[in-house]
Amino acid sequence: MSVKVGIDFGTSNSGVAVYDGQRVQLLPVDPKNVIPEVIKTVLYVTRDYRTSIGQEAVENYYRDNVNRQRRYVKQWAGEIDVYGADMHYVRDIFVYVDELKPGRLLQYLKTALRKEGYEGTQIFERYYTVGDLAKTYLSLLKQRAEEVLGEPIEAVTLGRPVKFSEVPAQDHKAQETLRQAAQEAGFKEVDFEIEPVAAALDYEQSIREPQNVVIFDFGGGTLDIAVMRLGDPRDRQVYASGGVDIAGSDFDRAIIEKRMLAHFGYGQVRHQPEIMEMIHAIPDWMALPELGTPINKNILEKAVHAGTAPIQLKALEGLIYNDLAFTFYNRVEAGKIALSNDGATIITLEDKEIALWELYTRHQFETDISHYLTDVEKVLLDTISKSGLEPGSIDAVVKTGGSSNIPLFTEMLTRIFGVEKVKESNAFTSVVAGLAIKAFNHTSLVE
Amino acid sequence: MSFSHKIDEWMKEAEARPESAVTIVKLVAKRLRELTERNEELLTENIALQNGTRVEEYQKRIAHLEYQLDLLKRRFGADESLLAELPAASVETTSLDLLLYNNYGRILRIGLNSDVQTLGRIVDETLQTSEQPRLLTVPPNEEVMLLFTSGRVSTCAVDSIATVETGGEWMWNAAALPDEPRAGEFLVCIMPISRLPLAEFFLQVSRRGCVKKTMTSMAQSILGNHYLGKGALQKLDQPFDITLALKKDRFAFVTIEGKLLGLDVNELNYSAEDRIKLTASDYVIASCVPHLEESMLFVTQTGKVIQREYEGLELSKSPLAKGQALIPPTRLEQGVRFIGAASVRDTDRIAALDSRGNLRVHSAEAIMGAGSIEADGVILSISVIPAEGA
Repeated sequence: MSVKVGIDFGTSNSGVAVYDGQRVQLLPVDPKNVIPEVIKTVLYVTRDYRTSIGQEAVENYYRDNVNRQRRYVKQWAGEIDVYGADMHYVRDIFVYVDELKPGRLLQYLKTALRKEGYEGTQIFERYYTVGDLAKTYLSLLKQRAEEVLGEPIEAVTLGRPVKFSEVPAQDHKAQETLRQAAQEAGFKEVDFEIEPVAAALDYEQSIREPQNVVIFDFGGGTLDIAVMRLGDPRDRQVYASGGVDIAGSDFDRAIIEKRMLAHFGYGQVRHQPEIMEMIHAIPDWMALPELGTPINKNILEKAVHAGTAPIQLKALEGLIYNDLAFTFYNRVEAGKIALSNDGATIITLEDKEIALWELYTRHQFETDISHYLTDVEKVLLDTISKSGLEPGSIDAVVKTGGSSNIPLFTEMLTRIFGVEKVKESNAFTSVVAGLAIKAFNHTSLVE
Repeated sequence: MSFSHKIDEWMKEAEARPESAVTIVKLVAKRLRELTERNEELLTENIALQNGTRVEEYQKRIAHLEYQLDLLKRRFGADESLLAELPAASVETTSLDLLLYNNYGRILRIGLNSDVQTLGRIVDETLQTSEQPRLLTVPPNEEVMLLFTSGRVSTCAVDSIATVETGGEWMWNAAALPDEPRAGEFLVCIMPISRLPLAEFFLQVSRRGCVKKTMTSMAQSILGNHYLGKGALQKLDQPFDITLALKKDRFAFVTIEGKLLGLDVNELNYSAEDRIKLTASDYVIASCVPHLEESMLFVTQTGKVIQREYEGLELSKSPLAKGQALIPPTRLEQGVRFIGAASVRDTDRIAALDSRGNLRVHSAEAIMGAGSIEADGVILSISVIPAEGA
């Protein structure tokens, strides 16, 4: 007998759950993780194309990459035609390739689905489209879930944000890419549910009377809001839904831009565009490893030798050439998460050439992301307005997703709706639980 | 952003949420403690740099590395440029020599041929009555270390020892004498040392089971001063064997009365220490560093072979253990005694010297299958001839 599961393919974390009509079972698909029911949405591909996901991928990446040896070889990449007023010539293009690179770690696979102009990436000798990456991840996730359940899984309800993109064509394309990836991963039957709606289905299990509910799903990649009538399955309605591309990864970026760049020479290096370019690439974790070329190393070493911010540029060199980017972003993210409970935290990164220490307070964090607060509040109020309800007629606001725990946004919700109406739910599992319920009921709420 | 501006921001947090003030103070205090410790480390380092201690340390380290490089060059018979181009897998020579030596420092070097089973015969009437000669298999480009009963050491290159004719009859007085023992001194054992840079420790065992571990980083000073030490506690005890080992290895030795003792190299002391409780007539006759894929063979004087797997070796933690008995006491009473032990693979061969002076080569697989070594007389000594590439 085949099973139908719900899969939350999240920007930072994913999960798989199954519902039997009575009880939702969250599957422990990542036994190595602190919470085995939550698996990091990361994919590691080795040079011989072996793949791993979740904590195993992270461990493989650390084992193979950190402080490893590098050997660059110049490789012909193609040619370009150069046209002038009275001449035309063809020029060969070469790139430096690290032939000892053991593998690539890919993060934010879901963001790649909606990123305009991003079609895929070259991993060693093979080109992986965005769909190939999603397929590889989903296929491994399916395999793990099947191992837990001990039976084949042939159908899935996948979560999707309210809007992959503001552009309808791009939004449709992202969903279809994900559908095809799921089918290629081995799911014969694939349907979708909007993530906040899924979280609502999970919340509905805990209420006895019909309510007007706002689902505030604030995750790693997007903010998704749904205003719904819940409590009576026959009268279940989605009054309105909305979303915006603001979420956890934007806050990490804000912390790096505002607090971390100074540790790598920002503000001290001037008139050296190549180095400035490297510093400005730090917030983009996908771009950072690509900077590790012999030319850049030479530029950094020359600057250090000349006495230009030597400590900071040595730290930058270590960050790029010792493959510490992933560790660095994780430390920043961990600092951000800590501020949901504490008033102050430390963001550190120590290695041979790096001694980064930053005391970071909640006040600083709230200052750094304050401009997002206005946008989030606007989307929330617009969605409620679209639903035709007043904030006063909302019975409950259900928070889900990791970023919903940030106190700044909890305070905003409390200010608008009142403290008694703001309800906690499991930040990482309520969406997947709702998707499992949807998969079981097999009826879509949203057309 | 200036540091004072950062402090202002921390103050704002403390004003907004007074409970954060405690966290901030704790975090700053922790940082201060870390920085103070780091500062002390740097000051210590600075003093070491200024008074030259650090320079001396690095000079010693450089000298040691140069010495190791020299050994590697000798092993591979290559100059530096060739050494740099060596492939990752070590270049093993396929030819091997067998050294047959006695305690008077006489060494016979016999070229090994894979086809020949009877290597030759040593003509010595005192073979059964004197100290048994010992055997060692080495590549011809090897460097060996000679250990004497006084604790003195010396080195010599294998290729500086003249080879004797295979299949012939040999006399001790015609054998090479690379380093004649001094008055009252005897040659104890010979150990190949080209793998010294790859090993972490010298392990010495005495006749009465006293074990001593010495770091190979001291090799240069040991060889330079020609002294390693007896590695024995009792006055009448004598050094017996020396071998190279890594921290993760196991070390085993066996006595003439069949007591086997296994030790974890990492847990051994650097000072000489009695490790086994022996009867008055018992003494160590063989030692080895077994490996996972190898079997340990224990040979009696009549050629009977007892086999033990690596996993079967019990590691002793007690400073004075009794050891594992290889044979029951009744067999001991019948006069069974052990003469050698070796850690072998199926593909290896074993050279055995008997009391009639015959030196023969046997397949390890055949010996393990038959459970005995065929010989014309009592077996005196054995040595493993590693298979090619082993």
